[in-house]
Amino acid sequence: MNVLNEWAFVGVFFALSWALPALPIVAAVFFSPKKANAIKLQTYECGVETVGDTWVQFKVQYYLYGLVFLVFDVEMIFLFPWAMAYERLDTFQFFAGIVFIILLLDVLVYAVKKNVLEWS
Amino acid sequence: MDVCSINNIARCLVNSGFDPALAQFITILLGVVVVASFPLVVVIFLIWVERKFAARIQDRIGPNRVGPYGLLQTVADAIKLIAKEDITPAGADRLVYNAAPIMAVMSVLLIWAVIPFSPIHVGVDLEIGALYFVAVASIATLAIMLAGWSSNNKYALLGAFRVVAQLVSYEVPLVFALLVPILFASSMSMQDIVHAQSGMWFFFMAPVAGLIFFISSQAETGRAPFDLLEAESEIVAGFNIEYSGMKFGLFFAGEFMHVLTNGVLMAVLFFGGWLGPLVEQAPIILGPLYLFAKSTFWYLLSLLIRNTVPRVRIDQLMDFNWKFLVPLSIVNFVVIAVLLRLCEALGIAPAAANANDFVANIPQTLVLLLGNAAIAAYVLNRLRRAGREQRLAEAGRTLAAVGEKAAVAH
Amino acid sequence: MDKPLELKTGTIADAIAALKEKYPGAVKDDSRQGYSGIVVDKSKLVEVATAIRDELGFDYLSSATGVDYFGISDHMEVVYHAYRTSGGAALVFKAQTGRENAEIPSLTPVWPGADFQEREIWDLYGIKFPGHPNLKRILMWEGFAGHPMRKDWKEAYYEEEHKPFGSRWPGGWVHRAEELNVYGHNVTYPADLDLSKLNDASEEALYSGMGLGVNVTQLDDETALKVDRLVVNLGPHHPSTHGVFRMVVTLNGETIELLEPVMGYLHRNHEKIGERNTFLHNMPFTDRLDYIASMSNNLGYALAVEQLLARGARWQPPSYRAEVIRVLMVELTRIVNHYWAIGFFLNDLGAFFTPALYAIAEREKILDFFEATAGSRMMCNYMRFGGVFKDIPERIRGVANLLNDQVRDFNTMDYLTELINDRIPRSIDELDRLLTDSEIIRSRCIGVGYLPPEMAVAYSCAGPLLRASGVPYDVRRAEPYSIYPELDFDVAVRYNGDLYDRYLLRLDEMRESVRILKQVLPRLEATKGQNVFGPAQHTPRVPVGESYGRVENPKGELGYYVVSNGIGEEASKGPQNPWRYHVRAPSFINLTALGAMCKGHKVADVVAILGSIDIVLGETDR
Repeated sequence: MNVLNEWAFVGVFFALSWALPALPIVAAVFFSPKKANAIKLQTYECGVETVGDTWVQFKVQYYLYGLVFLVFDVEMIFLFPWAMAYERLDTFQFFAGIVFIILLLDVLVYAVKKNVLEWS
Repeated sequence: MDVCSINNIARCLVNSGFDPALAQFITILLGVVVVASFPLVVVIFLIWVERKFAARIQDRIGPNRVGPYGLLQTVADAIKLIAKEDITPAGADRLVYNAAPIMAVMSVLLIWAVIPFSPIHVGVDLEIGALYFVAVASIATLAIMLAGWSSNNKYALLGAFRVVAQLVSYEVPLVFALLVPILFASSMSMQDIVHAQSGMWFFFMAPVAGLIFFISSQAETGRAPFDLLEAESEIVAGFNIEYSGMKFGLFFAGEFMHVLTNGVLMAVLFFGGWLGPLVEQAPIILGPLYLFAKSTFWYLLSLLIRNTVPRVRIDQLMDFNWKFLVPLSIVNFVVIAVLLRLCEALGIAPAAANANDFVANIPQTLVLLLGNAAIAAYVLNRLRRAGREQRLAEAGRTLAAVGEKAAVAH
Repeated sequence: MDKPLELKTGTIADAIAALKEKYPGAVKDDSRQGYSGIVVDKSKLVEVATAIRDELGFDYLSSATGVDYFGISDHMEVVYHAYRTSGGAALVFKAQTGRENAEIPSLTPVWPGADFQEREIWDLYGIKFPGHPNLKRILMWEGFAGHPMRKDWKEAYYEEEHKPFGSRWPGGWVHRAEELNVYGHNVTYPADLDLSKLNDASEEALYSGMGLGVNVTQLDDETALKVDRLVVNLGPHHPSTHGVFRMVVTLNGETIELLEPVMGYLHRNHEKIGERNTFLHNMPFTDRLDYIASMSNNLGYALAVEQLLARGARWQPPSYRAEVIRVLMVELTRIVNHYWAIGFFLNDLGAFFTPALYAIAEREKILDFFEATAGSRMMCNYMRFGGVFKDIPERIRGVANLLNDQVRDFNTMDYLTELINDRIPRSIDELDRLLTDSEIIRSRCIGVGYLPPEMAVAYSCAGPLLRASGVPYDVRRAEPYSIYPELDFDVAVRYNGDLYDRYLLRLDEMRESVRILKQVLPRLEATKGQNVFGPAQHTPRVPVGESYGRVENPKGELGYYVVSNGIGEEASKGPQNPWRYHVRAPSFINLTALGAMCKGHKVADVVAILGSIDIVLGETDR
């Protein structure tokens, strides 16, 4: 298979992996009863009417983790080629990579020191 | 003329008069159907395994009514789920709400495209297989987040926020652990990674990375003790609370498939995938057999953990990740990279010619193992010391309380 | 405070004398026949109560309850039972008020533990408590018409004042509920149902107290970002509230800022029904309180009524064997209950049923014995006034429940001996090994839900909750009943007052129970053949008076305040029905401290803290 074929496979796979799980849901439409009423369609909150807005401005702590993750995730992408080309690296390139990782570790230390990773 | 078999369908079709492009397409389609439906079928059996296993742990019998040994229980459950009323709560974001369960299953299915079953049977051997895995696996995070957000339910919302924190965080150590096999194999192709282990399984060269990968993939799946996303005793069912009928079923099946996929990935990345005796002679039978034997071990280990331990709390979960797993995985990666370099410099590493030779791999493995042991020893020592300090503090607290009591009595 | 009270001895009589001396006119003896304690003028109540707590040392308010004497003397009164945590009998004091505009000053400033109990009295009797911080209905809903425990309040389908109702006997009108309400038609909603009108006034009042509707957006000092608080209902329909308990919590992220317990979803006005019943009718009814520990509930009620009966002429106290069997049953119940509590506490922590099932497996063995003896596994209805209704059987036969297709048939004493000497200690050790040193359990439990000892006493907490906070208060030792004085056991106590200590304390208590049971076995052997029940008294006429019987239930101190009284001739003959039947439910009163324990913890901790209190809704809501 050539490269194009490989991605054709992934493309078909992508389409099918939407279709396969959707199949039982579509099937369920034909088999399942439909007896909706206002009470049944209520949001579940332990049997009590839910109050207040659900989609609120939530505590920022959750997002801080997301931000720190983003730093790591983006930086880690650079490590993939480095790891792949590992055998062909000369000493300078090798240590450049190591320094890069240590800088990444430094980010973590900084985040911890800044109490960003402290769940309050 | 060739005998037609699964290995040469395309050629076979062309020979029987098909247009080559069409033959190509049919081949691809067939491959996709086989690979994609495989986990969907297996999951039916897996749920039975899980229930039986849990039952045995808990001194119960487990499903035993539908079919021999209750084997058809899951089928009956699936039929029931299809016949259940499908409720979309008022106020939900309908499009997102309906798409989320499909996405949850889709993300797991997509991983299977790059899983090598045998030396010649693999959905597609992408050159960037490992990166592809990281990419599609994070769709699951998205799916769960969307499910929690779109349900317009407070528990689901809490679940969704836990997703943001948990699933996203545990991806960091997961990827760092994943980098280790890539380093060893110098390739991101899954098939190459398996081939590179024919001399020595990577787990023996980097057990710490293997364990980190296993732990963080457990957390990515939301399995105990990291099942905070759906923590039934706290936020009832978390992100999937409003889902009913087959949509709930898809989340459920998706989770089980994910656990199996974790086992398979453990096998492929660290336990030599389909490698085993005589596999070259009978790839179609032995390859998948070896692969699943290895992944079953990890699957069962996951079940054992699930049935043994209670859940951790969200702050403990995040601390465990960011203050333990992430630094550990980074340090582990650096140590392995340096040691590997050292082995090459000192000439301990096996030459390219006999890289597949078990004996030639031993010296390098020993060096790496030693490095791993050093990391493990240091970490365990630190943990023990921290634990001892904590115990002493507790004991001090108790003594203080008793002393106070005694002082009051006097 | 002019001069401190002087006590010559520690007795109750002495304490009362000192109080009368200090507050002449305000403190009087309760001189009614069969009554004890003092009646305090309500204008001086808070002052006298403070003196009782601070100067006389009665630091533990066990029970506060109302009584309506409509028809007898046309007043209402609130009865308080205060104890010393060092042990001894109760100082009973009462405050009286007229039935119109009934008002009695709140004692919450003196004993915060009076909080829920005063709310209950307001709810059921309509006595107002000026000074109470949060005087709302607690078991009924806001807007309920009337106060149901008042004697002049009649329920729907009211027939007669007392059972047995003439209409039911003979040939009463019995019909099945499903004939009136056929399945399928039981839930229909009008098409134009307006959901926004379903929220009644009490809900709105509740939520506004939780910071909803008020401007909830506050500036977070540290990050200066706008954060909305989320008001979430945990319960009534929640997997880990152990029934239909409801907590309304205000969350900042996952941290609890406010918590308001809401209960009453299982309320059936147990006490009103109890007043309609005869004394004996109430015995099976007590099973339904804490349905995990029905044997202990029976004992508490039996003790309360026996105190009254003992004043009559035809009374025979329970035989020694009956007392031995009672202790056997009660201690087995304690073990059953703690198995349950530990198992489901672990579930609340997020374990996947394994510890719970390990614990319950052993519980079944004990229930087998209960079934063979009392005829029922959970609703035992076993004790009677003056003994137990039946001796333990010669053999335990499980006819319905086969083991390998064999009828299980054991000699009862062998079965018990094996259970007590071998099986139960082994399974306790097994739980201990499985759970105690688990790192996750330790990190989830240690330091969470801390309840300091002085707070535990002030909040009237009882049982494991109190003892895990370092207060060694156990009714079996503080005011012994049955044959406990002659048994050798220790009061289990732990000092840290957190979840972990409550868990450990339950293990300790199970071990102490096994120790007691090991002493009970030879006594059981020695008393074989003795009568366990005197002459049958189906509708005993109970001498007029009040009594408070309390036992150390697995969940804490269970008290029954029973008043035998009646109008006119009824009183002189000795009534067949209690005038007042009050249950001091440990799980209800232990919940008073819940809000304080949960503040600042995470959602996950709240569930665990609730699990560590170990409530049963049958008892909480009554």
